[in-house]
Order: sequence, then structure tokens, then C-alpha cells
Amino acid sequence: MSIYGSAVKKPITTIMIFMAVIVFGLYSLVNLPIELYPDIEFPAITVFTSYPGASAADIETNVSKPLENALNTVDQLKQLSSVSRDNISVVTLEFEYESDLSEAANDIRDALSLVEDALPEDAEKPMIFKFSSTMIPILMFAITAEESYEGIEKTLDEKLINPLNRIDGVGSISLIGTPIREVGIKINPRKLEAYNLTVEQIGNILRAENLNMPTGSIKMGEMNYPLRVEGEFSSSDQIANVVLGNYYGQAIYLKDVAVVSDSIKDMTVDEKINGKPGVRMMVQKQSGANTVKVAKEINKTIAKLKENLPPDVEIVTIFDTSSFINGSINNLTKTLMYALIFVTLVVMFFLGRWRATFIIVLTIPISLIVSFIFLHLSGSSINIISLSALSIAIGMVVDDAIVVLENIAKHIDRGSTPREAAIYATNEVWLAVIVTTLTVVAVFLPMTMVGGMTGVMFRQLGWIVSITVVTSTLAAISLTPMLSSKLLRLHTKKEKPGRFSYDNTIEPMLTRFDNWYGRVLGWSLRNKWKVLFASFVIFFGSLFLTGNLGTEFMPESDEGRLSIYVELQSGTRLEKSSELAVKIDSIIASYPEVELISYSAGSDENGGFLSLFNSTGTNIINFMIGLKNVEERDRSVWEIAEEIRNKFAEYPEIVNFDISTGGGGMATSTSVDVEIYGYNIEKTTMLANQFADSIKKLEGARNVQISREKEKPELRIELDREKMSAVGLNTALVSSALYNRISGLTATRYREEGDEFDVVIRFEEKYRNSISDIENITLQTATGNSVKLKEIGSVNEYWSPPNIERKRRERLVTVSVTPYKVSMGDLAQQIQSKINQVDVPGDILVDVGGAYEDQQESFVDLAMLLLLSLVLVYLVMASQFESLKMPLIIMISIPFAFTGVILGLLITNTTLSVIAALGAIMLVGIVVKNAIVLVDYINLMRDRGYALDVAIIESGKSRLRPVLMTALTTILGMLPLAFSTGEGSEIWSPMGISVIGGLIFSTIITMVIVPVFYRFIASSGERDKKDNVRKKFIFMDI
Amino acid sequence: MKSIFIIYNQALTEKVEYMLDRLEIRGYTQFPQITGRGSQTGVPHLGTHTWPEINSATMTIVEDEKVAVILEKIQKMNSINEEVGIRAFVWDIIQAV
Repeated sequence: MSIYGSAVKKPITTIMIFMAVIVFGLYSLVNLPIELYPDIEFPAITVFTSYPGASAADIETNVSKPLENALNTVDQLKQLSSVSRDNISVVTLEFEYESDLSEAANDIRDALSLVEDALPEDAEKPMIFKFSSTMIPILMFAITAEESYEGIEKTLDEKLINPLNRIDGVGSISLIGTPIREVGIKINPRKLEAYNLTVEQIGNILRAENLNMPTGSIKMGEMNYPLRVEGEFSSSDQIANVVLGNYYGQAIYLKDVAVVSDSIKDMTVDEKINGKPGVRMMVQKQSGANTVKVAKEINKTIAKLKENLPPDVEIVTIFDTSSFINGSINNLTKTLMYALIFVTLVVMFFLGRWRATFIIVLTIPISLIVSFIFLHLSGSSINIISLSALSIAIGMVVDDAIVVLENIAKHIDRGSTPREAAIYATNEVWLAVIVTTLTVVAVFLPMTMVGGMTGVMFRQLGWIVSITVVTSTLAAISLTPMLSSKLLRLHTKKEKPGRFSYDNTIEPMLTRFDNWYGRVLGWSLRNKWKVLFASFVIFFGSLFLTGNLGTEFMPESDEGRLSIYVELQSGTRLEKSSELAVKIDSIIASYPEVELISYSAGSDENGGFLSLFNSTGTNIINFMIGLKNVEERDRSVWEIAEEIRNKFAEYPEIVNFDISTGGGGMATSTSVDVEIYGYNIEKTTMLANQFADSIKKLEGARNVQISREKEKPELRIELDREKMSAVGLNTALVSSALYNRISGLTATRYREEGDEFDVVIRFEEKYRNSISDIENITLQTATGNSVKLKEIGSVNEYWSPPNIERKRRERLVTVSVTPYKVSMGDLAQQIQSKINQVDVPGDILVDVGGAYEDQQESFVDLAMLLLLSLVLVYLVMASQFESLKMPLIIMISIPFAFTGVILGLLITNTTLSVIAALGAIMLVGIVVKNAIVLVDYINLMRDRGYALDVAIIESGKSRLRPVLMTALTTILGMLPLAFSTGEGSEIWSPMGISVIGGLIFSTIITMVIVPVFYRFIASSGERDKKDNVRKKFIFMDI
Repeated sequence: MKSIFIIYNQALTEKVEYMLDRLEIRGYTQFPQITGRGSQTGVPHLGTHTWPEINSATMTIVEDEKVAVILEKIQKMNSINEEVGIRAFVWDIIQAV
């Protein structure tokens, strides 16, 4: 028994099966996590090796190079790059997308174990660091305080962070820029000398005094008493009164030679949030946790915990990735709803029957729900890609149901009972329905096989559309006939239809349209050469327009976040940087769009994780700016960035700045990188500067950055070994003595309420901030005499060498450029021509890469995909028509779809991104479907014995409505996608625009050029066929 | 005894079956899924892509007096919509076992 026969005969079973599907689907939907993108791990592993004391060049030859050589053989490796800085080597291995990183890490470990012996002895063991998307903070809060600022770390730790850490899915919570309490002993070196004391001696004394020690036990009478010495400082005041020694019978106290202060450690970082001192709190999630859920829990818990915090503590959200995710997802959900409404209206318009419309539209939720089951089973999430895939599918899933239902309605109108009509009418069309679905699957299924980054992104899209379309076909040949048999009634022609009834309004209009189209088709067939010529002109004309079309990799989205990196002259002290930061802060705060500004100047020594991404130093200020919602402001984040850029140009003290508009997540890199490979550092740096200068002049080039850091001024102390040995000193003794005096000696720890604070002894600041101060530092010799530093060495100023970057095992310097209001492709071309003008020395290689390179790679992937789709579609159609010519006639509509894409993108001023190109590829399946309907019917009419021209015109007239209907459902289904302006819409609207542009244009053209082309190709073929048959049976006529 | 051979668009299957039941005709032989075309009017029912419709046929052997009733009912059935198509042919039964 056929599937539709069983469905009609067992309506309860059919309904139960579909109910089961819906229940599973809803269950999956409830359990699906919500993310921005499908889970993509950036496939990179970094190997850190520290080699204290080595310069960048030493690091390069002794550490980075041997590591690179060893790691080059690791499987699946795509690119190897390294940065060698003073003291540290960072080797980054980039793998192919979707490589197994744990296996790669094992391979790296093996490779490292082979090379470890070859590394210098003092180099530390290489550390493997696997970057994962879970390290990107999902939430960042600014916490400001006034009175309670000093003890804020402890307060927050106990009252906020600990409870938050207990939330399911939270990976880690860290504070940035917290003030650290420290007991500082600021020495006056003059007094120290007068009493003939040294910093080390003071350290030893403090260590010796701050002591609790059990000293045994004594027996007294019947008792046994343990004995303890309690010398530990019970309050920080006691430290000042420690006796350091005797000087002519007088006790010398610590307070005599130093100032003791129990306060906040000398800050190397200045954090301000909306102008107030504060700290930042960063939340990372566990891998696989649901960002939206975790963020929601955290926000809820914080609101509750706030009550326990001191009243002056304020918590403001700097960014919340979940709000962008929620915004985009809500936006897409709305888009889906609009698409559903539009599709319903189209079906209603063409069919004019409520019941029929209901049956057809019912296939939409069923098909879409099945994709949720797929997402759940494949461990994926609801994200931009999966939801836009649903948006795309929504217009296509009704097509099959429409074809089936139309035929059933025809049979019912001819007098069959609905039950019989449902079975037999479905029997007539079910094969054709399956074949048209196959052509769509032929386009979307190959998407699941594409490699690289494009592949990762579009695998879901391919699967979802394929699955929903297949489901819709299954529903069309089971559920649709079943429901038709139950719901459809004979559509009796009323004697006198109402004045505004369907029969009296829309129906005559459509009929007139059919007839008009018949006349157009007749004219075109008579003037076939003209039509053919005109359409070729249009197609090739549009190809010339492609030149005006900009290209980019991924559309950027306005996430309402700006991060700014400002670099002052290297060596600038923190106070100066802070001063400027305050100025910039007040400028930015004056923009009405700005909601929050937080900045940190200088570097947090314990910054740890974040300092991996941001360079820090006393001369560097990092801003993080949050803007209002997209709907609430007029200017985009890019325009604001541009304004800030112009403002920064007015500050000569800013030597370099970088404003980036991206948030977290992937594909945020939008820069064109000029890579300059060459061994000679001076030559390549010069060339990089030359390029940077000429690129800066290009219109639309912003954020021109040179990756090689500027040389830093550095004071080097050069010791004279002979003089040192004369007084019994050596380099180690001198350098540790200097460290203790300038950086500070952590003598002991002061304990209070279970917490420990460092007690640090160092020179008071005014005695250690000039070269002569340093030269005058007194050192104690082995014999107890004093000697000044200048007597055994000299302090000289130097420029320290820059960091050394390597890629593909060669030295490299990158000049990166971000495009503004120009497409990345254009910018890359302009840069290339600038580079061509420069005479590059023979030993230097220049290459344009960056996101531009990714774009090129993706376009190649997409071109392959297009080719594969075309071949598959041809195969499917050739077997459907059992003809090699018919598919060609049908595929003539494809080039015009591309013409439409080009026009659509040009009119809306959209660039050709990977997303837009993907839309163009999808068109292959959608457009071909229209032409199949038409050509199939022409063939049918010819087989029924109609003359060629009559067959073409009559088929055209009869197929106009179904073609328009399927095209319109797809176009209107995508319309909300193309024209939504909410959060994240930039990402997917190009796809909508290209599909709509292509489909409108190709539908119009298809309805004219395909029949004309048919006339050209099929006329002789059909005639010959009859002749051939006659020849075979010639014996009958003899 | 007469034999009536009814050939009809398979969309009419249920109607034909109902008619036979209604007229209390117990015996018949059905030929489902057969193809053919009419001599004068109507489109061919060939079950192909070009002519997708398919016929069924029922042969029943009845008493002479029932023939007129059956033909009358078939005529009615045909007149609902002649496009669907139903025909009946009657011939004599000479012998039966």
C-alpha cells in the first residue's frame, strides 16, 4: 500500500505519527541551548616557553626556531607562527577547522618531548595552552565603590564571587584591577647609610621578629603546658616600632629610617568606570554551558546579592553577550513569524479557500519542528545560522503541499469524493513532487560537505534546509492528502457570488493576468531572436556591473561595543597616561550614544589571562565603551568609531591607537594584513613603515597597525667585573641588591583575620626616580664596607630590540588595515597596487592576507560548492526528464538569477560577502524549481499532441499561478530576513537580499526566456522523434 | 444472464462498489490499475506522466432484469462529470459452471 493510500485510510494513525513528531520537536526545542553561532572552536594551540634573561633575538634562535622545527610535523597543521619577546617565546599552531585539538595537543607534547633537550638549560619547560571559545568572557561588570574601595577585593570575594561561582555552568569569575593591600616600608637611604644598615638587614630583622614558634612543653604539677613564643605582629602599627639595632646605646626603630604605611599597593594600573574608581569582574562559562541561561542566572543572583554589599558599591554591566544573543534570536523569531504570515497570505490569495490554506500552512510548523529534533540530536543549538536556515526554508516547505493540494482540489471539483480524490490525485503527482525536492536537496546537501571555516558555518544550514524540505515532502504526500480527504468540500460555483467575494475580485484579476502573460509569451515566441539577444545583453551587462560590487568576508554587526587601545610614547609613566585617559573619558562621555565607559591605564601585574589579548604597559590605556541599543541611537558604532578617530588625531601625545568595534565571538577580524617576510629587521621595519605611510593615505583605510612593537627605551646597568671583584661583589649580589631597593623586598607577611598581606621594603619613591639616584645606591661589600653603584659600574640608556614575529618559519612583520566605508576586496586591491609601486628588495617577500585571505579561501570554497550543486542539479533533472537537453533549457534561468543577485546587492548597496554568495548558491535550487514546473508542463502538452507554440503558450498560462505562488512564498518568506534592522541583522540580511533579488529577476526572466529557449532547442528534437518512430515501423506502409 | 463490463476512472472506484452493494449484486471481478483510452471522447487514461489518470474495471454477471438498472445508475454517475469517465458494456453469458 502506498504511503498516501495508508495515510488517507488510517487518518488517526497519520495524525498520531505527526503528533509524535511534534511532541519530540517541542521537547527538543525546550532543551536546546541558545547561542549566537554554532559551536566553533578556533583551532589553535599556543606553546609558551620562558627563558628568563634572554633577549628577543636569543629567544628566536634558541627557543622559537627549534620549537618551530619540531612542531612543524604535527598532523593537520595549517599554519605555524611565533613571537619572540624578551624572556618569552610564544609559538602558535593553527589547525584546520574541526581538527581534534586534544589529539593535536598530544602530538604537540610528543614533538616537544623530542626537542626539550635541545633547548637552553635555563629555559623553562614549554607550556601548552589551548584556546577555546569558553575563554571569551560572557559577562563583564564594572564595580565601583567609594569608601569601601580599599577592601573591595575581600568584600567582593566573600559576598559576590563565591555565591556566583556556585551557579551551574559558570567556569570562572575573576576581578581585574583590584586594589591590593600591602604594608609598605619606604626607606630613606640617607638615614639607612647613617646607621650603617641595609635593606637586607631590615628584611632579616622583620622576618625574625614576625614569628610564632612552639618551644616545647613543661610539666608543672599534674599539668603539661605547651610553650609558645608569640612574636607575630598583631597590628601593622607594631611594625614601625621594631627595633633595628643599637647606635651608641640608643635603640633605632624602623620608623627612624622609614615610613611604614598599611595601605594599597603601588598601583601599576588605573581603573576608572564612568569616572569612578572601581574593578572589573569578568565571567567565563564552562564549555558547553548555555550562555543565555548562565547570564540570566548571574544577573538574577547579582540582583539578590547586591543587598548584602556596602551601599556605596555599585555594579554596572559593561557587556553581556547574552543580550546580543537574545536580541538577535528574538529578532529572527519575529522574522520567522512575519514569514509565516506572509506565506499564509500568499497561499490564501492564490487559492481563495480557507480550508486549503490551512492544510498547506500546517506543513510549515511540522517541517520546522523536525529541524529542532535534528539540532537536539546533533548536540547543536538555536543560533543565527539555524534560525536563518528556518527562515529560508519556510517559503519552500509549502511548495509540495501546494502541488498536491491543487491536484486534489481539481479532482474534487470534477466530482470525486474527497477521499478518492485525495488518494488518486496524490498518486498522479507524488513522483514529480519528490523529484523537485531532490533538486533542492542537491543544492543544500553539498553544503554539509564543504570544509574550512565556511563549511563549519554552513553545515547546519545545509542540513536544516535539506531536512525540512524532505519532511515537507513527506508531509505533502501523507498529511496533506489525509487532511484534504477530511476537510475539503466540493467547491460549488455560486450562482451569484458576492460583490467582494474571491470569485468576483481576485479571481478575474488573476485570469486577466494569465491572459496578458499569454500575449507576452506569444510575442516573445514570434520575436525569439530579439528576446534572446536582449537577455544576453542583460546578462553580460550585469557582469560588467560586478566591478562596482564590493566584497568582504563576513558582514560586520553592530554589537554596540567599542574597544579602544591607546598607546602613548613608550616609557610614559602611569600618572601621565591616567591624565590623558581622564581627558579622553570626558570627550567620549559627551556623546549621547554612550552608556558606559570603563578604562584601565597601565598594566595589572596579575592581569594574567587578559594580558594575553591586550598589550599592557604604563603607556597604554584600554577603553571599553558600551553604546545604547541599536534602535535607540542614530549613529552606528562605525560612525562613532570614526569620530573618535578624528578626535584622537588632535592629541600629539597619542603615538598609536586602535579602535575596534567587534565584540566577542568569531569572525570579528575584518582587517587586510600586509605580510612582509624577511630576515633583516631594519629593512623590513623600514618597508613596513613605508607601506603604512602610503596605506594611511588611502581613503577608507583605518587602524593602520604595524605588528612589530616600537623599540622601548631601557636603562641598562653595566657592571665592571674587575672593580666588583676588588670589593668582593658579583653580578648576582649587585642585581639582587638593586632589585630589593627598587622593586622591593618582600620581607615577611602580615597576618590579619586569616588573610596575609605582603610586607615590602623598598626605597621611598623620591630616592629611586633618576639615573643619579640609581648610581648613588649604596651597596654593602663582603667586608661590611659601603660602595656606591657608580663606583663599580655605570647606568646607560639603550633602546631594547623589538619583538620578533615569525610565520611559516620566517621572520615577518604585518601591517594590518581595517576598511571603513569601503569593501575589503577594494581596499586589498588598492593596497596591492600601492605595494606594486614600491621596489621591494629581492630577499623580502610581501603578501596580502588577513581576513582578506580568509575571504578568498571562502570564495574558492563557495565556487566549488556552486559547481558541485550545478552538477548535482543537472544529474537530478536529466534523470527526471530522461533527457540531456531539458536540464540545459531549465538551467538557462540560473545565470539570470545571478544577474538579479548583482542588481539586488547594488541597489541596496550591500557588499558581496560569504553570506550573500551563499544566498546566490541557494538560488540554484530555488530558481530551477520554477523552470522545472514550466518545462515539465510544456513537455506534457506536447506529448498530448499540441503544436509546439500552442503547447508553450498554454502551459505558460496554466503554470503561471503555481510558479508565481512558489516564488512569492519564497520571496515574501525572506523579506523580513532581508529588511530587518534589529540586532545582528547585518549578518543575515545580505542572504535575504541576494535571494530576493535573484528570485524576482529570474522569475520574470524565466517566464519569458525559458519558453523561448525551449522553442529553439526542442523544436527539431521532437520532430525527429516522430520521424524515427515512423522509420522503425516503415514495414507497415509498404 | 448477462455480463456487464464496467470500465471507469479509478477515482470512481468507491461509487461503483457502492452501486453494486446497493443493487445487491454479490459477485463481481475487479481489475484494478488498468489503462486505456476511449474511442470518441475524453482523454486517455494511461497512467503515464503525460496521461496520468488510471482506470479500473469491474465485471459482474447479473440477471437480465438488473442490466437496465445498472446501466441507468452508471449513466447517472457519468453525468455528474463526463470528464472523469465511466463506460459499461453488456454481453450475453452462454454457459456457466
